[in-house]
Amino acid sequence: MIEISGLTFDYPGHRALDNVNLTVEPGSVTALVGPNGAGKTTLMRCIAGLETPLEGKIRVAGMDVIEQPREVHRLMGYLSDFFGLYQDLTVAQCLKYAAMAQGLAESDIAGAVAVTAQRLDLSARLQQNSGSLSRGLRQRVAIGQAIIHNPKVLLLDEPASGLDPEARAGLAALFRLLQADGMTLLVSSHILAELDEYSSHLLSLRDGRVLENRALTAHPHLGIERPLRIGLLQADAGILAWLEQQPQIASCKMHDHVIELAFLGDHGAQAQLLKDLVAAGFAVTSFAEHKENLQQSYLRSVAAHLETRQ
Amino acid sequence: MMNPEFRRNLWLSFSTHRLIAMPALTGLAFLALAMSDINDTAKTMYTAASALFIFIVWLWGTSNANSAIVDELRDRTWDQQRMSSLSPWSMTWGKLFGATSFNWYGGLLCLMVAALSGIAAQQPAWPVDLLSLVAGAVMLHAGIIALNLHTGQLGMRVIQRGGLGWLAIVFVLFTLPAFSSRDGNITWWSTEIDSKLFILVSVLFFAACAVFAAWRVVCNALQVRTLPWAWPLFACVLSLYLAGFFVIASTRPLFTLHSVALSIAAVMTYAALFTEQTGILTWKKLRLRQRAADWRGWLEHLPLWPTTLLLTFVFALFSTLAQPDDAASRPDYIALFAAPLCLALMVLRDAAVVLFFAFARNNRRALGAAMLYLLVINVLLPFFANVAGLPLLGYLFLPFSDQYPAVTSIFVMACHAAIALALVIWRVRETERSQA
Repeated sequence: MIEISGLTFDYPGHRALDNVNLTVEPGSVTALVGPNGAGKTTLMRCIAGLETPLEGKIRVAGMDVIEQPREVHRLMGYLSDFFGLYQDLTVAQCLKYAAMAQGLAESDIAGAVAVTAQRLDLSARLQQNSGSLSRGLRQRVAIGQAIIHNPKVLLLDEPASGLDPEARAGLAALFRLLQADGMTLLVSSHILAELDEYSSHLLSLRDGRVLENRALTAHPHLGIERPLRIGLLQADAGILAWLEQQPQIASCKMHDHVIELAFLGDHGAQAQLLKDLVAAGFAVTSFAEHKENLQQSYLRSVAAHLETRQ
Repeated sequence: MMNPEFRRNLWLSFSTHRLIAMPALTGLAFLALAMSDINDTAKTMYTAASALFIFIVWLWGTSNANSAIVDELRDRTWDQQRMSSLSPWSMTWGKLFGATSFNWYGGLLCLMVAALSGIAAQQPAWPVDLLSLVAGAVMLHAGIIALNLHTGQLGMRVIQRGGLGWLAIVFVLFTLPAFSSRDGNITWWSTEIDSKLFILVSVLFFAACAVFAAWRVVCNALQVRTLPWAWPLFACVLSLYLAGFFVIASTRPLFTLHSVALSIAAVMTYAALFTEQTGILTWKKLRLRQRAADWRGWLEHLPLWPTTLLLTFVFALFSTLAQPDDAASRPDYIALFAAPLCLALMVLRDAAVVLFFAFARNNRRALGAAMLYLLVINVLLPFFANVAGLPLLGYLFLPFSDQYPAVTSIFVMACHAAIALALVIWRVRETERSQA
């Protein structure tokens, strides 16, 4: 859905993006992570066609963003990290204006406003001035403006900042819903636990370069490593030797009563392994796939990057 | 469907209260005037309605047009507008007539009163007068929108706080006398033209230019790239217009035209130079497109000032070639011959000075520093040299003098330009080395 090649962006005296090459899969929710100054916002603004890069190509749904920015905007929604609202317009007027400005037909506008308000739980606030809303509600109106035309691509820069936990959960549910509708989302946030709830891909930036761009949800099938964690009633040195003999185990290590292993099999092989462990007489207290969360994944990629630099 | 930008502005500008208040207040003002003890009520009403139009649409309207961009930038809603799929033209006219819609509402009431009282007072030129007022308002509103958007990229606080709006209002106050003393004829290109008609056509023309300029600037803001032909074309058209006032039957019109065009091109080069992004990134983009032989992209990224700088040299050459018939016998011949090329070289040198500061790694105060140094080079150094009794030194700083051969003057200014350009090249290398 998004293809970027050789993207370089300079600010005076500072290179914000350095030869960035990446693709974003259609229908994915990509978590854009990185430290402050990594180039996340600049990347989003370039994709949105709000900034002209020094060089490079950006294509969204097959269209060149630099050559056809207005056409691309019809397919795209963008929420800036420092967004603003028209304070003196009501929520309904804000949404209606966004719908009109994105070229929705007059006959579709009322319906789009109602659906968007419902999705964002704003139906009761439609006649309220946006200037009188709380930070969280303003954020929801801004998201509503970005999605009212049902874009193919949605770029969200820190969408959950200022939202309470309940609103964040609601936002996560909304993003999952939008993804289920076929929308491609690129979401930047510093709160990785929140991104973990709905992201299917990780895009990690550092110093204007891509550290990692990969799918997070590994579907279990043969040949793909998955981390498994086995809990034991007590430490048992014999289990490591037993595990190393199993053909579908790539590696394993033990800390106290817990064994972490890289498993190459599918769910059937996993069930068989548990059965064999119990049959071999090992006192297993827990046995589960140990999914690496986004924070761990990100920190691991940063550590690997720093290691290669040294 | 109604233009979304226009409709949004209507939502913001109109309420039931405002809808009633405007006709009520203007009506009361006219009623009070009609009931007062004056001799020629119709004529007084005509003047009062015109004056009220100027206040409501020209002054107050300009302030609202100023806010059309300033408020978007301040309230961070500009990105949302740029992300919309509105065409540049829809955005331009939506802002132009939307932000000032309430003023036009009041203005139309004034125009109706002015038209009726003009007919009653048997003012023969009332349609011309009123059309001039309307065109003048459009010119001001479009001009301020174009200026604000063009200069908004500089991020200067005075612009972000609406400083240009106040400048426009001062401009209005200064130009008002030109509208009030407009009886008789105007001589333009040695032709006598009715002044009222001339003002109307002039204002209509400049209103069209301002609307076009606003549309072009909106195009750029919406990332719709344009080729840089309009700016130099406007310089040529403005020169043709202004030269008409200076051409006297006895002088060679071509020489006058070229001299005026040279001055206009120089002034417009400085204007663009001080209001555009001139940092090293602009030049990096140009160099990359040049290497890729992407000439369209190169032109799309070219700032405006080099286009009029090129015109400055073209008109300098034409001015030198189209000397008056009596030039050789005139005492100021040397200066007359050398001045156009010297002026063009001076503009090149000054542009290089601005670039020298703009290309620095930390260029936050580049504009101020460049202005200061230009003031020193062009004014203070020549002044002190002359005061100190060193006219030769003064001449070396500012070689506009008929005491020395024309070739020497051109050579001295060419040396200035060469030094300034060498400094720019050095700066580029230094900046690139520090960034590598």
